[in-house]
Amino acid sequence: MVSICFYFQVHQPFRLRKFSVFDIGNNSNYFDDHKNNEVMKKVAAKCYIPTNKVLLNLIKRYNGKFRVSFSISGVALEQFERYAPEVLHSFRELAKTGCVEFLNETYYHSLSYLYDKDEFKQQVLLHRDKIHELFGQEAKVFRNTELIFNNELANFIQGLGYEGILAEGADHILGWRSPNFVYTPKTADKMKLLLKNYKLSDDIAFRFSNKSWEEHPLTATKFSRWVSANNGNGNVVNLFMDYETFGEHQWKDTGIFDFLEHLPEELFKHPDNDFVTVSEAIKRYPAVAEMDMHNFVSWADVERDLSAWLGNPLQNSAAHELYKLGQMVKSSGDKKLIDDWRKLTTSDHMYYMCIKWFSDGDVHKYFNPYDSPYEGFISFMNVLNDIAIRIRDITKKNVTISDDYESAPKPFASSTKASCGIGNAQGKIMMSESPSQVASMFIDHEDNINKVFEKR
Amino acid sequence: MFNFLLFIVLLTFFSFNGKKRVRNNLKVLMLGWEFPPFFAGGVGMVCYHLTRALCQQGIELTYVMPFGPTMMRSDYMKLLIADNLFPRMRFQLKEVHTLLGAYATSESYDQDLKKYLVSASPGGRAKALYGPNVFQEAYLFAEKVKLIATLEDFDVIHAHDHWTFPAAIAAKKASGKPLVVHVHITEFDKSGGVGVDQRVYDIERKGMEEADLVIAISNFIKQRLINSYGVPEWKIRVVYNAAEPPNNDVDHDASRIKETDKIVLFIGRVTLQKGPDYFVEAAKKVLDIDPNVKFILGGTGDMLPRMIERVAQLGLADKFIFPGFLNREEVMKLNKIADVFVMPSVSEPFGLVPLEAMAQETPAIISKQSGVSEVLNHVLKVDFWDVNDMANKILAVLHYGTLNRQLKQHGLVEVRNMTWDKPASKCVEIYSEMLRMRSGK
Repeated sequence: MVSICFYFQVHQPFRLRKFSVFDIGNNSNYFDDHKNNEVMKKVAAKCYIPTNKVLLNLIKRYNGKFRVSFSISGVALEQFERYAPEVLHSFRELAKTGCVEFLNETYYHSLSYLYDKDEFKQQVLLHRDKIHELFGQEAKVFRNTELIFNNELANFIQGLGYEGILAEGADHILGWRSPNFVYTPKTADKMKLLLKNYKLSDDIAFRFSNKSWEEHPLTATKFSRWVSANNGNGNVVNLFMDYETFGEHQWKDTGIFDFLEHLPEELFKHPDNDFVTVSEAIKRYPAVAEMDMHNFVSWADVERDLSAWLGNPLQNSAAHELYKLGQMVKSSGDKKLIDDWRKLTTSDHMYYMCIKWFSDGDVHKYFNPYDSPYEGFISFMNVLNDIAIRIRDITKKNVTISDDYESAPKPFASSTKASCGIGNAQGKIMMSESPSQVASMFIDHEDNINKVFEKR
Repeated sequence: MFNFLLFIVLLTFFSFNGKKRVRNNLKVLMLGWEFPPFFAGGVGMVCYHLTRALCQQGIELTYVMPFGPTMMRSDYMKLLIADNLFPRMRFQLKEVHTLLGAYATSESYDQDLKKYLVSASPGGRAKALYGPNVFQEAYLFAEKVKLIATLEDFDVIHAHDHWTFPAAIAAKKASGKPLVVHVHITEFDKSGGVGVDQRVYDIERKGMEEADLVIAISNFIKQRLINSYGVPEWKIRVVYNAAEPPNNDVDHDASRIKETDKIVLFIGRVTLQKGPDYFVEAAKKVLDIDPNVKFILGGTGDMLPRMIERVAQLGLADKFIFPGFLNREEVMKLNKIADVFVMPSVSEPFGLVPLEAMAQETPAIISKQSGVSEVLNHVLKVDFWDVNDMANKILAVLHYGTLNRQLKQHGLVEVRNMTWDKPASKCVEIYSEMLRMRSGK
């Protein structure tokens, strides 16, 4: 029996406008409303509305046997309310079918777990309330921003009452294990862990339209054959991806919608296949082993670590200065100030400052509203300076943005590269793979991403 | 009679050249108006670096220029000075010795170059190279090159900047070999589009029409050629300039000013094209927010008096320093001392100055209306007219230490990687392409 577990991530940040030094103290409108509106309308038309329609039809056609899961960030939900209410309506229709589960995450899609656990908790609770308010669901499964995960996080989340959590099935963590089973995180034995099957997920999300991929074109028939091949070899196939795969990353003319429409039909041809939501997956299948993930793992870039957001001093410095202001912002009691500050915690702002790969075609560049990561940094820091001034005005306390944060302490003590040896797992070491062997197992994302994404 | 003798001597000399020539190397006849130490601007240095890199890649180069000191030589290629080979005045036998001397090699070339660069003023050289008779010189040069072309052995012709174009065309006609012209700047960019000299425009245009291929030093120039010169896009190849090889002779001169003030630097010709007025306006905005900044406007030019007046008018006389003409050593020192370098050019075909700053670990802010902005990543870019953004970025670099350090570090690496072998390789590809085009016909 193989249960296909689809999980879609929906998120839009509140993008900053170009905030110059002359705006500091003079103009506290940080966000580019015009651009955010534009992007929302575009993505709604190309992705959210048509894909929701496809899912709704599939749910009706298969009488509840077709089931999926979503996590929608709080800032995305706010933007639906503000710019595209029909999208919100369409998600509520999906919720009403009883076949769609909504997870929880941080309301502001932030990296707050790494910097301020109090703030993290508040953002999770805010999200829990919002999801309950809009979709009438009490979420039981959690996913952290960009699937950033480690043992301690699992423990923390367990403390908040969740039953399940998602993470990336990265090779350097799995070792010889398969992502097609349910696990239990170390230090959180009451929770279950679902790991993304990145090979199959990325076949749809990244490689689908890549003409130089040897498996191109990917048909529903071919894909369901691959999925069904896991029968007897696994319980779940976790297909986790960005919802914008459908219509935005993979345009309509690649046939992605037809693929999605025909996929259940092909999968059902094998009588042992079915679809589950995340809660159903963790309820149905027992955990086969404990998973020990001491170092942080994420679903971003080739490294699958934190380097996309916190790999360079610009990002470190900006994040450090941001969270330093947190206490004072919240104690000011000013709602707008708190809301503005929180919108700055959205991880995308850090993502835009990545100078890891400055080569053409890099995925960071495609989603970047700025000309360069340096511009992103400048606008962000100028905004922080304005926040500092507002704090000063309200609390009469002196606050300065440190302009010299070369050696900002990283929020995580150990190195971001997880060990490749599986010495700390239960049981014997079956295979110990050297970093280069593991690295060669990674499918070359860069080349494939180049051909896929369009500039926002 | 004497002319006949000269002809015979030349004929024999060219045929029985002492140097051994390997048959399978590509031979290039290169025409340039300048070459160090006889040069007035960036193009001369570019030719020096490019020819060096080409020779390192095994190209056999003969470089021909119109005038130069008789003792001028190169230690890695054949350097011919047309005026010395074919003086306009009476031919004398001793001139023949001179021309034999031109083929000798010299070990002291680099030392001579250094000495010359440190001491001589560009003004004098510019007058010598681009005097009032420059059109006449261009056509005279063409006559001489026509003769050289029949005697020299080469596979392709490569001509730099429009004064060599009549000669390039003559060489192509005389030899039947393919020609690539290398455009470093256009009359349009020099004049700012106002008062374009029709005679110069005609020379530029004719050269590009007769050429088999055209090299532009940036997409910026490429677009100019397409839009203003009617050159078809398929004919143009973009070859970016590279940076000077690193020079670590500059010691960190911790100037006293830096105890209290930050330093913002401009170096260039103080003329319309380089946007010094935008620099001054941005300075005012910066000083309104942070008074502890000094602005250095280095260089000379027709707009200098006006800039000094404007600075006085704005009440910033104590915040500005006008050092006037700067020699290479002074430029390097200032680049090292400065906290940020600004190139606010209105229209810059490439722009080598920010590379020099970055090589001295100084962050650079450059105009988007420049060729170099197409290749650099670790710089801040502004539209030249956006004085607010320019001030914004100057203040950001001065105040955000992390940003400052990142730009310094990554900028240095970026510039170190811009080596001349890369444009040289592209030129070699272009030569091969032209030869293939020919054989395809």
